[in-house]
Amino acid sequence: MFDRSMEILGSDARKARSVGETLKRLWRYFRPYALSLVLVGAFVVAGTYMQVLIPDLTGQAVDCYLGPYAASRLGQETAGGLPAELLAGGTSAAAEADAFSNCWYTTVQPDATGAEVIFGLGLLILLIVGLYVGNAIVSGIQFYVMSVAGYKSLRDIRDEVFGHVQRLSLGYFTRHEAGDVMSRFTNDIDALQQVIGFGLVSVVQGGLLIVWTIYVMLAKSWAFALISLVTLPIMIVITRWLSGEARRAFRRARHEIGAVNADLQENIANVREVQAFSREDENIEQFTAQNAANRDANIRAQTFTSALAPALEALSYISLAVVAVVGGTFILTGQDLMGTALSVGLIITFIGYSQQFNRPVQQIALLWTNIQNAVAGAERIFDLLDEHPDVTDRPGAEAMPLIRGAVAFEGVWAEYNPGEPVLRGIDLEAQPGETVAIVGPTGAGKTTIINLLPRFWDVTAGRVTIDGQDVRDVTRESLRGQIGLVLQDTFLFSDTVLDNIRYGRPEATEEEVVAAAKLAHAHDFIQRLPEGYQTVLGERGSGLSQGQRQLLAIARVALIDPRILILDEATSSVDTRTERQIQAALDALLSGRTSFVIAHRLSTIRSADQVLVLDQGQIIERGTHDSLLAARGFYYDLYMSQFRRQATETEAAGEAFLFTTD
Amino acid sequence: MQATLSRRGRRAGTARRGALGRAIRYLGRYPRLAIGATLALVVATAAQLAVPQLVQNIIDTIVNNAINRAILDIPASFQQLAAERLGLDLTAVEAEVVGAPRVLLMAGLVVVLFSLARGLFTFAQNYLSQVLSQEIAFELRNDIFAKIQRLSFSYHDSNRTGQLMIRATDDVERLRGFIGQGLLLALQAFILLIGTLIILLTSNVRLTLVVLPVLPVAMIVFMLFGAIVQPLFREVQQRLSRVNTILQENLAGLKVVKAFARERDEQAQFKVANDAELEQRIRISRTFSFLFPFIFLVANLGQAAILYFGGRQIVGGTLTLGEWQKFSLYLTFVFIPMGQLGFIISLMAQAAASAGRIFEILDAENDVANKQDAMALETIAGRVTFENVTFRYFDSSEPVLRDIAFAAEPGQTIALLGSTGSGKTTIINLIPRFYDVSEGRVLVDGHDVRDVTLESLRRHIGIVLQETTLFTGTIRENIAFGRPDADDEEIEAAARAAAAHDFIVSFPEGYDTPVGERGSTLSGGQKQRLAIARALLLNPRILILDDSTSSVDLNTEYQIQQALDRLMAGRTSFVIAQRISTVLNADQILVLDQGTVVDRGTHEELLESSPIYAEIYHSQLAEDVEVVG
Repeated sequence: MFDRSMEILGSDARKARSVGETLKRLWRYFRPYALSLVLVGAFVVAGTYMQVLIPDLTGQAVDCYLGPYAASRLGQETAGGLPAELLAGGTSAAAEADAFSNCWYTTVQPDATGAEVIFGLGLLILLIVGLYVGNAIVSGIQFYVMSVAGYKSLRDIRDEVFGHVQRLSLGYFTRHEAGDVMSRFTNDIDALQQVIGFGLVSVVQGGLLIVWTIYVMLAKSWAFALISLVTLPIMIVITRWLSGEARRAFRRARHEIGAVNADLQENIANVREVQAFSREDENIEQFTAQNAANRDANIRAQTFTSALAPALEALSYISLAVVAVVGGTFILTGQDLMGTALSVGLIITFIGYSQQFNRPVQQIALLWTNIQNAVAGAERIFDLLDEHPDVTDRPGAEAMPLIRGAVAFEGVWAEYNPGEPVLRGIDLEAQPGETVAIVGPTGAGKTTIINLLPRFWDVTAGRVTIDGQDVRDVTRESLRGQIGLVLQDTFLFSDTVLDNIRYGRPEATEEEVVAAAKLAHAHDFIQRLPEGYQTVLGERGSGLSQGQRQLLAIARVALIDPRILILDEATSSVDTRTERQIQAALDALLSGRTSFVIAHRLSTIRSADQVLVLDQGQIIERGTHDSLLAARGFYYDLYMSQFRRQATETEAAGEAFLFTTD
Repeated sequence: MQATLSRRGRRAGTARRGALGRAIRYLGRYPRLAIGATLALVVATAAQLAVPQLVQNIIDTIVNNAINRAILDIPASFQQLAAERLGLDLTAVEAEVVGAPRVLLMAGLVVVLFSLARGLFTFAQNYLSQVLSQEIAFELRNDIFAKIQRLSFSYHDSNRTGQLMIRATDDVERLRGFIGQGLLLALQAFILLIGTLIILLTSNVRLTLVVLPVLPVAMIVFMLFGAIVQPLFREVQQRLSRVNTILQENLAGLKVVKAFARERDEQAQFKVANDAELEQRIRISRTFSFLFPFIFLVANLGQAAILYFGGRQIVGGTLTLGEWQKFSLYLTFVFIPMGQLGFIISLMAQAAASAGRIFEILDAENDVANKQDAMALETIAGRVTFENVTFRYFDSSEPVLRDIAFAAEPGQTIALLGSTGSGKTTIINLIPRFYDVSEGRVLVDGHDVRDVTLESLRRHIGIVLQETTLFTGTIRENIAFGRPDADDEEIEAAARAAAAHDFIVSFPEGYDTPVGERGSTLSGGQKQRLAIARALLLNPRILILDDSTSSVDLNTEYQIQQALDRLMAGRTSFVIAQRISTVLNADQILVLDQGTVVDRGTHEELLESSPIYAEIYHSQLAEDVEVVG
């Protein structure tokens, strides 16, 4: 059963990874819980034994008590006027031999009274009840132990995936969407979970029950067993076909529901623009079409799943009929079935077996799609785990000593995708305490330069040194601990303001946090928040304006007192007052530190010690604002193209977004 | 206080029940499917009930003929006597034995026939109910989407995208599950339960009475089970979402985590959340580990009882073996529907909550909608007048705008200036009627905006936001967003005027380049130029824009400014001023403070007369004037 299942899965797997390999790898996560599994194995065997024994004992109730008693009563009634010798070898014996001959549990005297028979039957049933109770206990414990082991190994997988994702460098995320990683984490692990929690026990126990039942049936009467199993191959074929079709159809349905969700997301989130452009009708029309495609795909997929259970159920009834009719015919014609004398009790036992056998078959068949999903999910999870982190600590890397702040790039090349260099031979040098402004058009490589310093990404050629030390020779933690970073788009965690500020130094006291907030000009607005420093920020700091978020980001960096500062200057989308505060906060932060600034403000560029003009991954000009203007090169053009406006303009007060309500 | 609370609670309860009933009435829209599914269900259930009876027939045939054969095995002289004692007619016995295999075969065929019918009609039932539920989900989703698209800004201000999404997806799905399957399953369980009990009672009252007490016990267990498990699952959902939130934040804030070297702490935090989820799952497992075996045990004990008491009856001669076998088969039919009913009850509670949430959206009153006799606004000159406009977001709240009055002549540029919260955004939101005024009037060419249709009003108004959203589709489709009927030449002309044509054709796929969430990413400056092109294509008489540029290099900024100048030429423009050039060129500047117009005039006038304006101007300009000077 299982070997075959693997073949089916294997032929269907799109990746080269074999199912066997996936399962073997999955097993590694179960190994720490091997003891639990052994226990479960023992319980499964015990439970299955009881489940097999029970229908047999039920059959014995007929064969040993009820059958013989009914027959002997028949005998007694008939015996009234019959010769004794006939009675002796006669009716009752004949009937017994033919129809109720499979008694192994106990033999009851033919002349037993009704009360004696009932007493014996009662004892037998007590035994059966005991088995039922035992089975309930065993299956309860086994389910519990198994699901605990399953959940624990899933927990381990999750921990590993999370740790792995954190180790992956930024390069991975330029090639893959975060949503994809998220989906592997939620959907794929969920697919595994569905099978591991309840499914695995059912499948293992079901599988064992099937094998065992088949064995017992074969042992009792191999010929009758084969007749009882006549529907099994049909069941397998139908399950394979239907679940294969269903899987394909569901893949399509998943795609369609994804499109429906994307449509919803986009048009609800941007409903203001939709209404501004009066696009409601077109959107509704489009959505209806997408929604209809989703409905049809789902109906198609459900068609196959709808068919599976009824088909299997019908086949299981048919197998009952086959057992009863074939068995009955042999009894009535008085023939042996390949050497086995059939009895009514045996038929009843076999009907019990058939039912017992069909239940796990149906269960496994219905779980089939889940199992396949789980294996596919495991594959995708392992793919993610196999992704090598590009940036790792060198073996024997030492901690970065206290940084003075001399930074040098020596012939640096960098690329995110092989063969597409983003930086081509960058040379630069910054003395401790200097401010370096980087300007240039979008896509020139400004962000990449600052990504190399804290080793978010590694050079392909050349080297980046701090105080003469190649950044790749020191541990990332010691390096990053001394570099402060203020990004253009401030990311805050859904946590308190206090914890957000001390993100880089969780051990900082509240006084230190307040001092940092004051330096960053954030203290005033924080105090005005409903719960001050204890205010919990919403998802990604929602509830704060962009300017306020920037101030928090500055406070966060101020608190770690970094030796080197990296600043991706935010743009003009804050109001004048906040803008001035940010400017003042940055001035306070920049002083005395080596700073790299992706500059958007003229004032920043003017006060920088060095201005690097970047274009297509190369530094095409360098100097100060004044010397660059005097050189009349690329920078001069950039500057002059703005001249008309820069001469007369400045930013007036304004708001971040047109449609945010004020 | 308490009385109010409980009253409210009760009302909420009735509202929920009403919502589920209302959702169920959606079935009425598909009478054929609904009736078809029900009929299939009845046939399938009947066939299911018939099968044990048929199997019993087979067994009885076997047993009877075994006895018959026993009689015929006795020496001929005693056969007659034996038959008489048993009350049988010997010739009939002989005939029966001869015909037995044939009877048996026929009985078997009947079982096969019924099995096939059962399978076929169960399939029909499943299939039709799936179609039915998908149709209803389709309809609900369409209704929700259409409603959301038309609901006014004030509704969207107080509802988050994520929540609305969940209603259109999860809530609809849950309701679908109940209406499509839960309802039919309940009906099926009910028919099966009643049918089985009738069969059991008619075939053997005493034996039925033995198992009857088990039923309420089992029922209570199932319902308790639902009540216990539901809050457990809710808790696990919460803990899971905590795990996912940490992951999601770590993905979104990856750079921050790395920059502050916090990986280890994050990993520890994740582990705590992960373990908390594990703990809850194990708690659920424990409940299940007890309940599942317990349920089976109850059912099995019922079987054992039947085995014993049925056995007594056999011994007493009031029950045949076949009947007894049938009885135990039917007994499983009693327990299956009981389990289903317990399951359905928990489904129903969830579905009712979902239905409530869905109808909350569908019933939401749209405070900005076309009047019944609203007329279409045809060509307009572009005169915009505010007459003593006061605006509040909520009836009782402080006004955001007070007594705003001004007139913009066709072709004029109006600059709005003021600090955050001064009411600039609100003013421009009132012109396309995104909100309705609380007092006063907003007029376009002398028409109150509430008297004309929304579509015709908004067709005349172009909007360029600071942050541009592009929709999934090609660049071409995005430019034609407000006018899907525009031809390629018009689109290209608009793109050229917006200084967007050059960068568009530099893409390999040109105007067919996919953009938006799943397309290629454009820079802020490129997006902004597409937004300008999009507004230009509308050729609106009235223009609303935010003149700040987002993160772009100096050259792009210049191009954007030129495009904006072209866009504004000859149109009535309202600009949230971020640049002094806008202010210099404006025909009117409105200086806003706390919802009122504190000063108005041209740049020169205001510089003389308005201290607030002078302060805003100087505070920002001083620095750059010095630079350039």
